[in-house]
Amino acid sequence: MKEDLIWQVRHFVYQNFADMTHPPSVGETANHFGITNKEATELYKELHNRHAFFLDLETLNVRMANPFSGIPTDFKVTANGKTYFANCAWDMLGIPAALHTDATIEAKFTESNQEVKLEVKNGKVSNGELLVHFPLPFSRWYDDLVFT
Amino acid sequence: MLLFQSEAWIDKWCERNNLARGEILTLDQVWELSKLWYQDRMSIDYHGRSMEQVAEIFRQAGLRSEFWYV
Repeated sequence: MKEDLIWQVRHFVYQNFADMTHPPSVGETANHFGITNKEATELYKELHNRHAFFLDLETLNVRMANPFSGIPTDFKVTANGKTYFANCAWDMLGIPAALHTDATIEAKFTESNQEVKLEVKNGKVSNGELLVHFPLPFSRWYDDLVFT
Repeated sequence: MLLFQSEAWIDKWCERNNLARGEILTLDQVWELSKLWYQDRMSIDYHGRSMEQVAEIFRQAGLRSEFWYV
């Protein structure tokens, strides 16, 4: 497995998320690089093992390429005219940080289920006094990424 | 990582889920951490980062408690 190709695939997945708001399938990645589906699957699994993104191993869909989520969540981020889902309250700010752009965010408070609109504009976030709870210390983040 | 209005809501959630309280950051702190953590994520040259680099990001974000030890 070529090291260069591994990282090119990582970049392709991220760029696809940014451009299309969803990850490319194994087949789309295989077509893009002129490789077989089996080879693309191996590359996806290698990137999953390296924590470059998080794969649903049953479907081979990219579930998380942090900060982007492959499935709908309570953290909806609109940036550059596109709407993305973020994995968590940290990642909802990670999307404008990764894309280096302003964003509007529709989120839901945990426990109260109230909705809130936030904004990242000119390098600052609105409602900066709100709280984010990190349940696990860094040393345990990769034990269970969905929970984390 | 979940979003809350206040520490009282966090305590309620922890109690309901039978979990100990973790670390609480303000959205302003998380925004500063996000910029450090994600600024290079779209680059083709991003190949992950070492534990030393992670530790440096936490240090720059002012996160120095044991919770953030790498």
